[in-house]
Amino acid sequence: MADRRAELERKKQKLAMIREEKERRKREREAKESEDVPMRVTRPDKDLRTETEELLSSLGIPLGSEGSVTRSLNATPDTSLSPIPDQSLSSTQSGTGPVKSLRKQPKLSVVSVHQANIPPKESVTYNKQTQTASTTVDREAHPLDYYIIHWDEEWDDEFQVEEEGEGCSLPSKNLESPSIYPRHNTPHKVAGLPKVEMVRPASAAEGDTPMTPGHTEQQKEEKIKVDLSEEEKQQIMMSEEFHIFFGKASRIVERALYEDLDICVDYTGTGEEQEGDDKSGIRLLLNRCFTDDRWSKNRTITSFDWSAQFPELLVASYNNNEDVPHDPDGVCLIWNMKFKKTTPEHIFHCQSPVMAACFAKFHPNLILGGTYSGQIVLWDNRSNKRTPVQRSPLSASAHTHPVYCVQVVGTQNAHNLISISTDGKFCTWSLDMLSAPQDTMELTHQKQSRAVAVTSLSFPYGEFNNFVVGSEEGSVYTACRHGSKAGVMDMFEAHQGPVTGVDTHRAQGHIDFSHLFLTSSIDWTVKLWSLKDTKPLYSFEDNGDYVYDVSWSPIHPALFACVDGMGRLDVWNLTNDTELPTASLVVDGSPALNRVVWTPTGHQVVVGDDAGKIWIYDVGEQLASPKSNEWSVFMHTLQELQNNQVDQDLDVLTSLSSSIFSSPSTGIR
Amino acid sequence: MASEVEETLKRIQTHKGVIGIIIVNSEGIPIKTTLDNSTTVQYAGLITQLADKARSTVRDIDPTNDLTFLRIRSKKHEIMVAPDKEYLLIVIQNPSG
Repeated sequence: MADRRAELERKKQKLAMIREEKERRKREREAKESEDVPMRVTRPDKDLRTETEELLSSLGIPLGSEGSVTRSLNATPDTSLSPIPDQSLSSTQSGTGPVKSLRKQPKLSVVSVHQANIPPKESVTYNKQTQTASTTVDREAHPLDYYIIHWDEEWDDEFQVEEEGEGCSLPSKNLESPSIYPRHNTPHKVAGLPKVEMVRPASAAEGDTPMTPGHTEQQKEEKIKVDLSEEEKQQIMMSEEFHIFFGKASRIVERALYEDLDICVDYTGTGEEQEGDDKSGIRLLLNRCFTDDRWSKNRTITSFDWSAQFPELLVASYNNNEDVPHDPDGVCLIWNMKFKKTTPEHIFHCQSPVMAACFAKFHPNLILGGTYSGQIVLWDNRSNKRTPVQRSPLSASAHTHPVYCVQVVGTQNAHNLISISTDGKFCTWSLDMLSAPQDTMELTHQKQSRAVAVTSLSFPYGEFNNFVVGSEEGSVYTACRHGSKAGVMDMFEAHQGPVTGVDTHRAQGHIDFSHLFLTSSIDWTVKLWSLKDTKPLYSFEDNGDYVYDVSWSPIHPALFACVDGMGRLDVWNLTNDTELPTASLVVDGSPALNRVVWTPTGHQVVVGDDAGKIWIYDVGEQLASPKSNEWSVFMHTLQELQNNQVDQDLDVLTSLSSSIFSSPSTGIR
Repeated sequence: MASEVEETLKRIQTHKGVIGIIIVNSEGIPIKTTLDNSTTVQYAGLITQLADKARSTVRDIDPTNDLTFLRIRSKKHEIMVAPDKEYLLIVIQNPSG
């Protein structure tokens, strides 16, 4: 910097010198021109000359020749007479002039000329007249409209000043240009200062609200950079309350998203055909499929249950996924049938495969699960966690074998959780305390000392005490919880293989069929029983593979569904045909179907397979809905069945007896 | 936990017709967004104002009531706003796909 300054000074001096030389030459020329003229005038000036010479000599400048001095002096008489402040200038001029022409170059000393360049102070002015930048979008002249503030780098300073003004509505200009971000170059570039329009004073009385949103919003924009850094945003996103908010909000939004009802559809243009009437004729139609890639893939569905409070909520429990050992073994998903979203409402998991799950009937937020390890787990959908909020201990007092049946029985005020494991242990729990069961019981059949390995459980409708269980040996037992004969009561020699499903009749009508129950088994059959009789009423043998589950329709007394290992779903209508299922289909891809339930409405069947998919089928109206005389008709059917059975038995007996007499009897079933 | 949020966001984002998602806090500062900066800021500011106004309207009519969901259907888009005490979830969707 010092060098530059020195250089500048040197240059200035050179310039000054050049200027002086130029002027000197000019003066010389002029002097030569006017040489003749002032010749006579010089006389009276001689005094002046002497004066000046004296002055010059006093200043220490050597005098040049008389002639040139006079000439130059004459040429510039004014300058020599100029007042003292200019003396130096003139003297140097005049001095150097003659000096140069007559003598050798004088010693020129460098005179440092300090030049100070002070820029004028920028005055920030506000024009309160209407001003618009010329390149902005043309608006009609509304002189008393609103603030239009264009901001550039200096906007924040200006903005503070403007606070007394009225609200800043975001003008449409800024909307058209997508950026209202201060740093971006707005297309209408305003140089430096913001321009402000006159504000309608009356509406200022509206108060803060017109002002604050835009006002604070712009400040916020500034704040965005200042306040919320990436880390802060991350922190917010990690916070608990954010997760709570997000859980709720995302569920609502997902449901809204999946609703693709176009309320604005225009019917006048299109000629939409009416839905075919044969829809009702179709017995079983695939409605939808629930599956979750992350959580339900490759996991067998082990149980279903419906929520009592919200009949559209279905809980499905899943086995483990062998392909992904690091994922939690037990998963429980809650699906919502009402909305079209394809993701579960809630996702729960635990460390051990969940074999049975149910909603706590009288507590809408609790979901209970019985696991392979024998633990009972409790999830709460109010908590943000996906892991159980309560777990029963792994102790000898509780279960030590896989729990295949859990159910909540009782009334609102007096209810218990019941769980049965495959070692025959029957535990009663209180929902508040899962640390120890309230009551335990061993289900052992009197005749055999072995315990019953229970695989399925069903309480008849309206019963809290007596229940039916199916076992691994293929027998079905009735038992009761309390009373003098607590424990197993009757045994039905049901099947030749483990019983996979037991279901008691549920459809309520004027005739009570609650003594009826169905059992399904690995032996390819489904059998219909009555509690009153140890012999089966009927055996359905249409299946060609293990029958994994059976379920009565909740509304139709003669309707039930069963599923087997080949992917077949059968819906039987007993009044229609007892030999063959009335409707049957094979699920896409033929997976082994593990579970089947009806929806509480009775018009849909929910099937779970071993790949983690839940298939929902619509059952045709004609098939699903019972007619008013359905119960009596079914009664007749039952009678017939019983009669047939009796006849069969008689036949068997007679053939037996005849064969005894005639020939060695072969095994007759 | 944050990954669940990410997971859900991705799921919503990949839904048919969804243009973008913005999460703002109660002051209108975007916390998370899938749109570009300028659009986000624009939406954040405007929608926050609108949601506040809607909420105050609902509460003025009945002080015990509160706003639970706000849905703005326009010719081109649908904007769904799930408000909360502290935050706002905004989803912009093109309903026709």
